[in-house]
Amino acid sequence: MIAKLLSGLLLLAGIGLTEEDPRLRELIDPDTAEILRRIHAVDAYTVPDLELRKDPNYARTPADIEPYSGVRPYKEHFLLQMQYHGPGRAKPEPEHVDTVKIGFLGPIIPTVSVATGGKSHDEETIGIKMLQGAQLAVEEANAKGGYFRRNIPFELVVSNDNGLWGSSGDEIIKMAYKDRVWAILGSIDGANTHIAIRVALKAELVMITSGDTDPTFIETNIPWVARVISDDRQQAYLLVDYMIRKQDYKRIGIIRSSNRYGRFGVREVKDSCRRLGRPVVIEMAYRLGQDDYSLQIERLKAAKLDAVVHWGNPREGAIILKQMRAMGMDQPFFACDRTISKIFTDAAGDLAEGVIAASPWNPDRRDPKLERFREAFRKRFNEEPETYAAHAYDGMNLLIWAIQVAGLNRAKIRDVIAARTKPWPGVTGDIPFSAAMDDLGEVFLARFEGGRWRYYSREDLQVPRGYIPPRDRVSRNLPTED
Amino acid sequence: MAWGPIGLGLVSLVLVAQASALDLPYVYTRWKQFTVANGLPDDHIFSVKSDGWRLWVGTENGLALIDKRTWKVVRTWKEEDGLPWRVITAIDVDPKTGDVWLGLFGGGLARFSGGRFDHFHQLNSGLVNNVVYGVAVENDNIWAATTAGASRYNTVTGEWTIFTEKNAPMEEIWNYGVHYRDGKVHLAVWGSGVLEYDVKTGRWKEYLDPDGEMEIDLYRDDGIVHVIVTGAAYVENTLWASSYFGASRYDGRHWRGYYNQDSGLPSDFINNIRARSANEAWFATDKGVGVITDYQTNTWVAYTMDPKTRRGRAEVYRDRELLRIVDMEVGIPHNFIINLDLDGNDVFVATAKGLGVGLGEDYYAGLRPEPRAVAGGGQ
Repeated sequence: MIAKLLSGLLLLAGIGLTEEDPRLRELIDPDTAEILRRIHAVDAYTVPDLELRKDPNYARTPADIEPYSGVRPYKEHFLLQMQYHGPGRAKPEPEHVDTVKIGFLGPIIPTVSVATGGKSHDEETIGIKMLQGAQLAVEEANAKGGYFRRNIPFELVVSNDNGLWGSSGDEIIKMAYKDRVWAILGSIDGANTHIAIRVALKAELVMITSGDTDPTFIETNIPWVARVISDDRQQAYLLVDYMIRKQDYKRIGIIRSSNRYGRFGVREVKDSCRRLGRPVVIEMAYRLGQDDYSLQIERLKAAKLDAVVHWGNPREGAIILKQMRAMGMDQPFFACDRTISKIFTDAAGDLAEGVIAASPWNPDRRDPKLERFREAFRKRFNEEPETYAAHAYDGMNLLIWAIQVAGLNRAKIRDVIAARTKPWPGVTGDIPFSAAMDDLGEVFLARFEGGRWRYYSREDLQVPRGYIPPRDRVSRNLPTED
Repeated sequence: MAWGPIGLGLVSLVLVAQASALDLPYVYTRWKQFTVANGLPDDHIFSVKSDGWRLWVGTENGLALIDKRTWKVVRTWKEEDGLPWRVITAIDVDPKTGDVWLGLFGGGLARFSGGRFDHFHQLNSGLVNNVVYGVAVENDNIWAATTAGASRYNTVTGEWTIFTEKNAPMEEIWNYGVHYRDGKVHLAVWGSGVLEYDVKTGRWKEYLDPDGEMEIDLYRDDGIVHVIVTGAAYVENTLWASSYFGASRYDGRHWRGYYNQDSGLPSDFINNIRARSANEAWFATDKGVGVITDYQTNTWVAYTMDPKTRRGRAEVYRDRELLRIVDMEVGIPHNFIINLDLDGNDVFVATAKGLGVGLGEDYYAGLRPEPRAVAGGGQ
């Protein structure tokens, strides 16, 4: 331990940080110092020798729900971290900046967007929470002195992505080339975020999402993106394990929104159910903003289900639940994490009791960091923080940390995040990154009990898990050969 | 401008495979490099298009024109010179009018004609989105691949047509590239594979990854290797496609997938593609240029730059077997390749730090017995 600390100090000295602000030195552990030494040493033509993350399997997927599990694929992706091979690390820091700008992209104004499936519904309520979390992180950083290297404040550049079709691309362009932000936090909607990350890739700009749970966000091989919230894949794995491996439900039905969130959110639920031999009996989609779901519910009812899964926004979830119960459906109601919302519980009333939703974190966890965050959030916004505020706070703090330690260079900001050796210690829990820079932190099930959500881990509920092979699919024996 | 020298003393050949004579591909050994030092407005090159004596170069901060007769940068344009937006991601030239069409990254579409820029964007035209990744001239039409669909502009009638999931088989609307040749427009779509539009019939055909999974490629030769496609090129009835996960070739009957593990591709992360024939295609990867030079024998040339010495290097592969290494004083200017163009025997390589021009006066297609083949450049 002492040797490691000494080695870290020597490294700090080696990269010229001996005379830096002690507050900055507190942020640089020995591993980060070594990363900095390596990325500072390269020119425009050289790629630093950074250890790339390697995963033994993709997304900790159990063998029995892997796609085409009986076949050895020719190629398996996302097991080795992508590296950035461009010349960006050699770009000099700007001589003069008044503030250190960080972009925020999220749905904060209700509008109509073809890309997101028509008129926006409720997403701005999530987006505003996300913005609040990001704002709090920036304000706290500025209260501590801002960007230490120059004693200037951080500035949040806020963009709404709920506008014209594909406007998120324009917003990222503006932030990259006009506002000159150093990194971006955003967004929530999968379609808009996909558009944004393609721009971020070309513009060479880090983009972290704290609100988009679409599994395909990181399934793009872009070395500039990361996610700090557990995705719908991980949430689906736990939900399905609970419904099938634990409760042995045989007839599961789905009702979902007809936008990308609903379509991609249930994909892993459907695939996992099918691969476990319990294919989803019926899947009904609905238009966003509907008030009458009787058509869909009649079909669900006729399917004689053991359980119903809803994937969509909380308003629609509550209406569907109420109409289901009114139409005589008393099956267990499962849902996505957006359900854990005051909008849902207020609208559903007593019927919310017993509803189970996947959750990317456990807000009941005892953690002084989380308590401090809650208190600060209450003081600042006069309300309780929820999932999207907390994850945005974590994502923004990660970006601020990266900018503090790497300096004003987009490629190096990317590097220190990508090469982190330890999980990010967030208020939502530790955030360990996969090789695809996805959040592989623990997910939970939230059950509404006695007028409040209670959070349960897999272990709490003794939910069985399928066997997760310790080797990649290409080099491992087929399941039958193991 | 750095010159790729000619002469045995400056190009060395290393035999790494069998000593007996091999049929080998042409290797470009004469390279020029252009950067801001030669007058380019920016080193970060996003697009390049050769048109006769003109070489158009689109950068992250401006447009440049290089005169290929003198190899001088003769003119540059930035926003203050009338260029509607600084970042130029795509260039094509209308062979009938000579008009230069520019895809602007977040700035829409521009026509450069008679010294004037005409600007088309979301608010004044039928361009579906301002983030344009690809441009192609198809007869009287200009196609733009945008981040939220494709647009087609008829330069004669002034009519715009928008293609999205509403009227084309786009599972996703995130267009990345467009290519026109022999009556077919091919769209490379992020999340929707390659879409083929038959100009005569107006019908669409889609090419998707048959396994439908993001995290695996189940079989190598069952279809396009991945649904996130970055570029497409169609020549001699053969479709070539690039992705961030490898490359594909389809001759209308058989598919073939290519990865770094089974070819001379320097990397599976491919930004763009150009094809010279059904036998030869060039891939712009993040670790150099990969060229399949002979489809039947799976023979490749990988062009890279040694980051320490800055010397050029070409490696000849058959499957994954390294056959030859050619060391050059000057090669491509950087290993992060963004775009390419082919014109006659010459190649143009847009990198994240400079433009490379490979001159191939005595270029030959396919394979020939060594050593003439490997040395190239008249040696």
